[in-house]
Order: sequence, then structure tokens, then C-alpha cells
Amino acid sequence: MIPVSFKLAWREITSAWSRFLFLFLCIALGVGAIVAVDLFAANVEQVILGDARALLGGDVELSWRRAITDKSRGVLNSLSDRGILVSHVTELAAMATVDIPDNQVPLTETASQLVELKATDSPYPLYGRLVVEPDHPAEQLLASLQSDCRRSPCFGALAQESLLIRLNLTVGSELRIGQANFLITAVLKKEPDRIADGFSLGPRVMISREALEATTLVKTGSRIQERYRLKINNSFSLEPLMDELRGHLSQEGVQVSSFRDAQPRLRRFLDQLNLYLGLIGLTILLVGGIGVACTIQGFITQKIPIIATLKTLGADSSQVIRLYLTQSLFLGGIGSLLGGILGVALHRGLPLFLQGIIPETMPMNPTIVPILRGIALGIIATLAFSLWPLLAIRHVSPALVFRQAIDQSQTMAQFRSRVTRWGTLFKHWWNDRTRVLVSVIIVGGVTGLAMWQAHSLTLGLFFSGACALAVLLLLGGTGVLYSILRHVQFPQRYLLRHAVNNLQRPGNFTTAMTLAIGIGVMLMTTLTTVQRSLLELIGNQIPSNAPSFFFIDIQPDQHPQFVRVLKQRFPDSPYDLVPVVRSRLTAINGQPINPEAHKGQRNGWYFTREYVLTTFRILPKDNILTHGHWWDDTKEHVSDGATNKPSDLPLVSMEEEAAKNLGLTLGSTLTLDIQGISFMATVSSLRQVDWSNFSMNFFMILEPGALDGAPLTYIATTRVPKTSEVPLQQAIVAAMPNVTAINVGDVLENIARIFRQLAMGIQALALLCLMTGAVVMIAAISINRYRRLFDLAILKALGGGRSLLLFSLGMEFGLIGAFAGLVGLGLGCLLSWSILHFFFDLTWTFDPIILIMGLLLTIVLTLMTGFLSTYRLLGFPPLSVLRQE
Amino acid sequence: MQLRAGNQPVKILQDISFEVFPDQVVTIVGPSGSGKSTLLGLLAGLDRPTQGSIRIDQTEITTLTETEMAHFRRKHIGYVFQAFHLIPTLTALENVALPLELQGISTGQSRAKALLQSVGLEHRLHHYPIQLSGGEQQRVALARAFITQPPLLLADEPTGNLDSTTGAMVIDLLWELHQQHGSTLVLVTHDELLAARAQRILTLRDGAIVNETMQPLSSSIPGT
Repeated sequence: MIPVSFKLAWREITSAWSRFLFLFLCIALGVGAIVAVDLFAANVEQVILGDARALLGGDVELSWRRAITDKSRGVLNSLSDRGILVSHVTELAAMATVDIPDNQVPLTETASQLVELKATDSPYPLYGRLVVEPDHPAEQLLASLQSDCRRSPCFGALAQESLLIRLNLTVGSELRIGQANFLITAVLKKEPDRIADGFSLGPRVMISREALEATTLVKTGSRIQERYRLKINNSFSLEPLMDELRGHLSQEGVQVSSFRDAQPRLRRFLDQLNLYLGLIGLTILLVGGIGVACTIQGFITQKIPIIATLKTLGADSSQVIRLYLTQSLFLGGIGSLLGGILGVALHRGLPLFLQGIIPETMPMNPTIVPILRGIALGIIATLAFSLWPLLAIRHVSPALVFRQAIDQSQTMAQFRSRVTRWGTLFKHWWNDRTRVLVSVIIVGGVTGLAMWQAHSLTLGLFFSGACALAVLLLLGGTGVLYSILRHVQFPQRYLLRHAVNNLQRPGNFTTAMTLAIGIGVMLMTTLTTVQRSLLELIGNQIPSNAPSFFFIDIQPDQHPQFVRVLKQRFPDSPYDLVPVVRSRLTAINGQPINPEAHKGQRNGWYFTREYVLTTFRILPKDNILTHGHWWDDTKEHVSDGATNKPSDLPLVSMEEEAAKNLGLTLGSTLTLDIQGISFMATVSSLRQVDWSNFSMNFFMILEPGALDGAPLTYIATTRVPKTSEVPLQQAIVAAMPNVTAINVGDVLENIARIFRQLAMGIQALALLCLMTGAVVMIAAISINRYRRLFDLAILKALGGGRSLLLFSLGMEFGLIGAFAGLVGLGLGCLLSWSILHFFFDLTWTFDPIILIMGLLLTIVLTLMTGFLSTYRLLGFPPLSVLRQE
Repeated sequence: MQLRAGNQPVKILQDISFEVFPDQVVTIVGPSGSGKSTLLGLLAGLDRPTQGSIRIDQTEITTLTETEMAHFRRKHIGYVFQAFHLIPTLTALENVALPLELQGISTGQSRAKALLQSVGLEHRLHHYPIQLSGGEQQRVALARAFITQPPLLLADEPTGNLDSTTGAMVIDLLWELHQQHGSTLVLVTHDELLAARAQRILTLRDGAIVNETMQPLSSSIPGT
């Protein structure tokens, strides 16, 4: 048999569904946001873990960026003898050109495009499937085609659709890359070992290894990425093999990774993204929790007669609390369930914001675990937020039953007004052990939620600490504003005083509304400010004299030709041309560096990265010398030993940050590996570099002559007007097909586009938070609507017209909006300043327009929300209302 | 007993001392504001006296905690209100069964059914309070008060909200139940006819007992 108390709970809920609408919404919005984010995180996990071998391209990958020694090559060659299947892939940026037949001129024009070239062999791909259209075997599509092209040598090539669109090509068109010609045999739809192409320099072109050789693009010093993928027999265990390979190859700068750490950077990025989005989702849930607390408190206030009756029948407080807690949890459960559905819907919309960041083929199917987890979070939040108002049940005296004349809300009001002063509040709290216990449960619950969401103890603690601080500051800040307003005399402003008093009278929900709105405003302000600063960094702050192109891989013998072409076609364009050579750091002060030991460390990047070395006679512009001396530019370094320096080593000037992270000081010695040859230098000065000028900047600059004899290539930057960018690129590429032109504007535009997309997604969530704040406000207003109705009826009966009533309501809601907005904006500024200062090392700029707009929008939002939830009250005839009361 | 109105303590009851014996029927009469209902509320443990002692069945109830008082009430005291105070969201049957359920007794429904039958409401079991007349509601309330078979039944103007015919019917029923279950009955009433049926009448004025009348047993038997 169903217990009567259960029926009681059920009927109390079902007789007032509409009252709980806002409670459902409050929980559902928060849970929805969290579920959407978690579903996405689960998809990411699915893709990365499920296809880990396909993403890495094998069980193990060996990758490096420069020529390796014969000894290492021997190690690699021995692999296939041990029954390991090997696939060799080479990646590099290159220029693809096409002839455009021009009917007017007998000559042909050429169009060019930066592409990401990938040369594969026949075992490729070891895992996963290459998707091409038309669907033929890759080997056949990439084969040498001597007869089909107008020029030879000619090979088949696979190209991404974006290349076809940009160069106006179709399958069957011809392209030229380096010294080789290609016939596009199919459209490349999906590479199993590439997760997304949002961060790429250009469209992908896939060719055979034989064809790569024919392009002659791989020369000493070229910027290439070599990858050896290994497919290992199940009987082989992975770790010993990896250790062996690391032992042989690490010192040469070969990275050895297994499928377990596939796509570490993308993974870290997506993990971080999910973490931030998840915490915003949790914030929404907490704001929604305020709405839950309001609704439950309103509900309990209304149920006081029934609670008193139950007590006269012998029910003790804990029985009644259990009864209503069951109801709250049931309601929270329904809200969470709705949130699950909302989450699935939001999840469907996510790809809009993540185009180019996630693979197009990424499965976006909802999985059950994140939905269940979201529902659990929603129910825990309901528990935490309804316990507090439910405790008031203990103060409902059964004697209320026979003191009917007393206003039902008075016991609550009495209790509340007794404790309005902070001191008494604390004493009351401390003396009430149950309340202390419940406080601990609530704080523990919120902290637990944060830890669960962030998957980290410290971050969870930090988040809940920040929440507590934000709540205290919001309440403190608005409290100060209200007390100022109370003490200012407005002689003729009865309605204003009425509004202020109304916001502070017992049983009000001003605190709840202030928190709900204030937190939303704070989040919005923070995100807008941070996003604006970052976008400015990417876009607006590019100096007007920043180069429009980087040209890389200019061979030493092409140096004069490059200058000639540039001078001929664009005589006014300023340019810089410097010799560079790539190197790796192998030892500091004679102590060898073990790259594996630094992997995953905060400054590890400085130890494992590749350093581009160059020489400058004079200190480059935008560089400031902070320690030591620049070399005497009149003297040439003499390598035959006739030198006046005691150390005998060439001098190097280090970038300050790098030096700090590597632990270098003046006089430290560096050992670098340049194409297998060991090279030592002494740190003679430290420089500050302005990286934001988008020019050629270097961590290490050597004194003139130090790199003589090294396999140098040249890189060049130049600045031309926007309209000349395409002709310049085409002129250079036509003359020197191996030179790669990187358009700075395009690259930055690409980054900015992805960033904007992300920012939009994050802001959509923040908007959801603000919306939840508005829902909380509606919920809080609707709880007191009968009292408000009575107030309005009295005002009406006293002769107040509609405009007066509107003014009175507007005053009240406007004040909430203004105060919550003002303090929320202030906290948002504080938070965004901390984020910009501590995380991005950027200066925070005060933008009064954004802040004033933010404040006005908040006031408008609260006014609209307030009027929407009260306008119907204005129409009630006063007499009927007053009689009922 | 003192109550506070603003900062001014108001003495509602003072120097009241009386004893009620098992199975007795006692009525408390007096003008409005004389403290009748307050006295009854104190007896039920719904309120606490500022000073003094109340003992029920050897238990000093003024020192019980709120929870202990609730537990004591559910076993020892039945209460009938002037305004019925049925739970609007529960049917007649469920309202009557509720006190048993609060005690953790799950077989309440059959006992509730029998009791409702004995108050003549077998055809109204599944009606909600709002669908019942005042007299019917008070009969449900009576059944609810008796279902735990409390040794002490308190009734606060049980006919106050009813017309005289219905009121008389309810009173007859109250007497019947009192005799069937053997509960001690303490009634507060304005109704002199009703008061006259008790064995003992306490008259209250300005918070003090000003008169006490004992009556021969025979007059308390209904219909005589």
C-alpha cells in the first residue's frame, strides 16, 4: 500500500505544477549546460581513445624534423627485419601552383596556394581508413602517370576540397609542386591520422614518396616533419621496444610516442576547453540552485498551516522535513531529467561553434553516462539548496493551528527579522547545531560538485572558494549600496523609499535575485573583457609595419634571385633576409639534456623544442638588451683560433624568458646539435623580444660568422600593400617553386576565426547563465505575487494610477538590476583583470562604453523580467483583492 | 503563561491549577479572550507555558523537547479543532489514517475505514475535505482524533463552525466515541448546552479559573 505521506507529497506537487515550473527551469538550464559539455567531452574521449592507433598512425610513432645519422637510419631499417610493419610519412608546407590559361595573352598566368604536403608509402595507413572520392585504392590514385599530364614527371595526388575551391580545380586538373607535376585523381575526405584541420596552414595534398623525391623540395635545412609509424605484432610488448628506441634515437631529437599519448596537444586543449565550459555549466547550476531555494522557501511558507496540522497530529520536525525534502528531490529529479533532454539538444548545436576544431566526422551521438551524471549533479544541487529553507520547518509551531488570525508568513518573518543583524545571525547559526550541520553539508555538497566537475581537488576547492568570495562580495557590495540609499533623504520621493523598503522587508528575495543576476553579469563581463583583449591581441594590435609574408626554405643559391625578383616587381617594399639553421639543445654547461625528462613539465618546451639559429651584426629593432653586451660589430669572428675571447667559443645572445627557463646566465655554455654536428656557444647577453610585432624574432642570435659553413637556408619577410599580396606570392613561387610563402594575415585570420568561434560558444553558455538569473528572478517575484497584489491594491485604492504603479514596480526592479549589475560588473572587472594579468600576462584596459552598456542592459533585463512577471497583477480590481485578504 | 506582544509581556493565564481524572469529561467555558484555547493548547503541548507544570499520565510535558513532545502527542493526545484542519490534499480516509502512519503503523487504512463507518461516513471515504460539508469534515476530524485511541482527547470549540443541528450531531458522536474508547475528554466551548453535559465545568475569566461545577454523572449521558 502506498503510504499516506507519499500521497500527500504527490498531491501537493500535482496540485501546483505551475508553481514549480521555474524550479524545473532553474535546474534544467544548469543540468542541460553540464550535460551538453560532458557529452562533448565523452565524444572527444571516444574519438581520441577509440581511434588512438589510427590517430597516431600506428602503435608507435618516431618523429623528427631534420636529417638523422646513418646509425639511426640503421636502427630504423632493422625494424622491418624484426617483423614490424613500418610506414614512412613526410610532411611539409609547400606551394602548389596551377597554370591559368589566359585567352587574351599568349602567356599563361599562374595561381599559387600554400598547401600542407604529405608523402605516404604503400603501407599507409597502418590503422584506420583513408576516405577518398572516387573510392579507389590509394596506391592506384597516387601512382606515377607518365602519359596523362602535359608535363613530366607526373604523379597522381589527392587534394582536399578546399584546395579545389580556392584554385578553381576539379578532379582531373593539374598542379605543380616543386619540380613535379600532379594530376588530382581524387578528393581527400578524411585522413585517419588527422583529427581536425582548423590549425593548419593550408589545404592538404597527399602524394607518394616517389613523387616527393621528384619535387626536390626535401633539401638540407628544409622545414620537414618525418614520421615513422610502426605496427607491432601482438606478441611484442610495447614498453621495452619504446625504451630501446628512445635509447638509440632520443639524443638525435627523435620523439618516440605510443598510441596511448596520441594527439597530446589537441587532447590537452580539448580537456581544458571542456573544463572551463563545465565550470561555467556548474555556475549556471549553482545560480539555478538559488532559484530552487527561493521556490522551496515560498512553497514552505505557504504550507505552514498544513505543517502545523501535521505537528498537532504528532508528526515531529524530522518527519515533516523528510516529507518536503522528498518532494524537493522529486521536483529536482524532474528538472534534472528535463535538463538531460535540454543537454542533448544543446549538444546537437555544439558543432556550430567547433567547426574546424573537431573533425567533421566526429560522432556527436549522446552517450548515457554524461546524462546520468548530469541528473545526479542536478539532484545533489537540489538537495544542497533546498535543505536550508526546509530547516525553517522546525520553527513552525503547532500552536499556529489555533492562532489562525496571525499572518501565516509571520513566524518565518519573525525568525528572519530576529537574525538580520550579522552578530546575532552568527550566534543563532552557531547555537543551532542542525543548521551548522546543514551548512557543512551545503558547503561540502557545492565543493564536491565542483571537484566532480573539474576532476580535480584543488581546482574544485579553488572554484568553490571563488564562488563563496563572489557571493560575499556581491552581498557585501549591494548591502553597502542599499544602506547608502536608506540613509539618503528623499523628501518627496515616497515611492522610491517604498521600493527600497520593499526590497528589504522580511520575507523578501532581494538577496537571491541580486546573487542570481549579479553572478550572470560578472561572468558575462569577465568573458567579454577577456575575449576582447585576446582578439585585440590577435587582430587589432598587429603593427602597421608588420610583414605581410614570411618566405621560408630559400636555398643559399636562391638568395640573389629572391632579392632580384622582389626588387624588380616591388622595388619599394622593405624586406629582411636572414640566414637560419635549425638546431636542438643537447647540453647546458656541459650537462647533457635528456628530452624525456622534461616532457610534460611546465618549462619542458624550452628543453625539447627546436631552436632556429641566426646571426645578426647589430641588435635587431624591437629587441632590448637587458644583460651583458652586444658584440663589437666591427670585428668578425675568426674561427681559426686567432681570437681575443678567453673562452674561445662563439657568442650567443639569448631571449630573456628562454634563458630564465633554461637556467642560463651570462657566461653559460650551450651545446647545440646542428644537423648532427655539435656546436658550442657562450651566452654573452640577454635580450627582451617584442613577440607581438609579428616580425622575425629569435630565441638565440649568434655573432656574425659563427654559423659559417653550417647548412644555412634563408628566411625572408616583406611588407607589400594588400592588393599586391597575390602577385608577389605568384612571382616568387613561379621563380622559385621550392620557396614556401606564408601569408601572415591569412594565418592570423585563421587563428582569429577559430578563437571567435570558441568565444561565441563560451559566451552562449554565459548567456545561458544570465538567462538562468532572469528565471530565478521571475521565480522569486512570482512567490511573493499575492503580497505584491495586495500592495498594489492598496496603492490603487489610495488613488494611484497605472503609471504610478508602474513607476513603483520599475523602481524596485530597476534598483535590483542597477545594484546587482554595478557590483557584478565590478567583480567581472576584477576577475577579468586577474585572468588577463596572471594567465595571459596582458594589460587590462578599462572600457567605459562596455561597462555602461553592460549596466544599462542589466537594468533593462531586470525591468523587463520584473514587468513580465507582474504586469498581470496591475489589472486586478483592488476591491476584490482587498476583500479576499 | 505569558505571551509577548511587541515588547510588552501579556499574561494570558495565571494561577491555574486543576486535575482531570481518567474517563472524566471536563468542559472549559468563559468569554472570548479568557484564555480557554490557550489553556487547551498548553495541555496538548502545542505551546509552552512560561512557568508552571503540566503533567499528563505521570509525564511532565513542559520539559519535553519539541520532538519528544511530538512523539508523546501522537500516542497520548487527540485534538479536534474548531476549524477542522483536515489536510486538503488528502481524502477523508487518508486524513484519518495519517496519525497511525506517523506512528509507523501501516495497517491504518482498514482501521480508518471502520472508524469512518462508525461516524456514518462510509460513503465519503474517498472524498477530499473540500467536497465535504462542515459537519462531515468535523466527523472526519473526530475519527482522525480517535484513531490512535488516545487516553486524552482535547476539543477546541468543536461545534463553533457548525449550525446547531449539525453541531448537536457532532456532539452526540463525540460522546459516543468517548464512551467507546474510554478517553478522557477536555472540551472548550461557548455552547452552554454542550457544557452542561459534562461532569465538570471550569469557568475561566481573564486567565484564571473563577468557578468549578461538578455535576451528577447521569446528566452526562446523552439523551437524558
